[in-house]
Amino acid sequence: MSVSTAPEVDREVSASELISPDTPWELIVWNDPVNLMSYVSFVFQSYFGYSEAKAAKLMMQVHTEGKSAVAHGSKEKMEAHAVAMHGFGLWATVQKGGNRG
Amino acid sequence: MARAFSAGRKGITGHLEPAERDLLRKLFADIITMLEPATAASEDPLAALIGLDMDVRVPTDPALLRLLPNVVKDDADSALEFRQLTERSLREGKIGALRAASLGLESDKIVLDTEGATLWAKALNDVRLVLAERLDIRDEEDAERVHEVQDWGEADDVESYLSLVYNFVSWLQESLVQAMLVSLQRAK
Repeated sequence: MSVSTAPEVDREVSASELISPDTPWELIVWNDPVNLMSYVSFVFQSYFGYSEAKAAKLMMQVHTEGKSAVAHGSKEKMEAHAVAMHGFGLWATVQKGGNRG
Repeated sequence: MARAFSAGRKGITGHLEPAERDLLRKLFADIITMLEPATAASEDPLAALIGLDMDVRVPTDPALLRLLPNVVKDDADSALEFRQLTERSLREGKIGALRAASLGLESDKIVLDTEGATLWAKALNDVRLVLAERLDIRDEEDAERVHEVQDWGEADDVESYLSLVYNFVSWLQESLVQAMLVSLQRAK
């Protein structure tokens, strides 16, 4: 039996990276002095299904840092989320990910 | 003053005085008028179906822009392109929530299921966004300035009247959202 060679593995990885459609995009929610903290937290819980703790953490990040990347994924998915956020009256934008965290 | 919304076995209930219902009805109607598209839906049935609107432009009224914001920052072309695809249905969704909330004002007791409560919260939020724009609320300090106006006896100009209305709608939304959060926890 032969042991599979390293170069083959490398090729597979780089090929899958090339065709991957999941270039990370992110949904940014921006702070404003109008939206209630309770409401923002409710939206994060009910729409994204986030836990109370995660929703509170993201809400506080929006509040104290002025914005938070609340979701990551494909461009199309982030755009759909943004429209939903605008439906709730939250100010959200979509951008190419990069500086996560 | 209205009784706060509360979460119970029958859903979320609230109680509003006739004068408060009249006020909310007028506010909802005003925002509906703001949101109604200036042009009729496209005559192309497919375009109409998906809500495509090539004539759409970035709103010049800052309050309307707050309701219908750009989806990307610092890229006017991409933002406009996305707006053409989505703005009409976003307007329709918001008008739907405002109409639903307005219909709920027919009786003094308001009973809401989860979906109804969400429509109400969205409607109240859009009212607050527009009032905040008219009141020039740009930061927390501005919000505090408006919040301090609490005495209806002192409503002697448009700004203090709008401030009182804003505070009332904020109080109402806060009480509704607190009840929604209680329901959400119970459902888990």
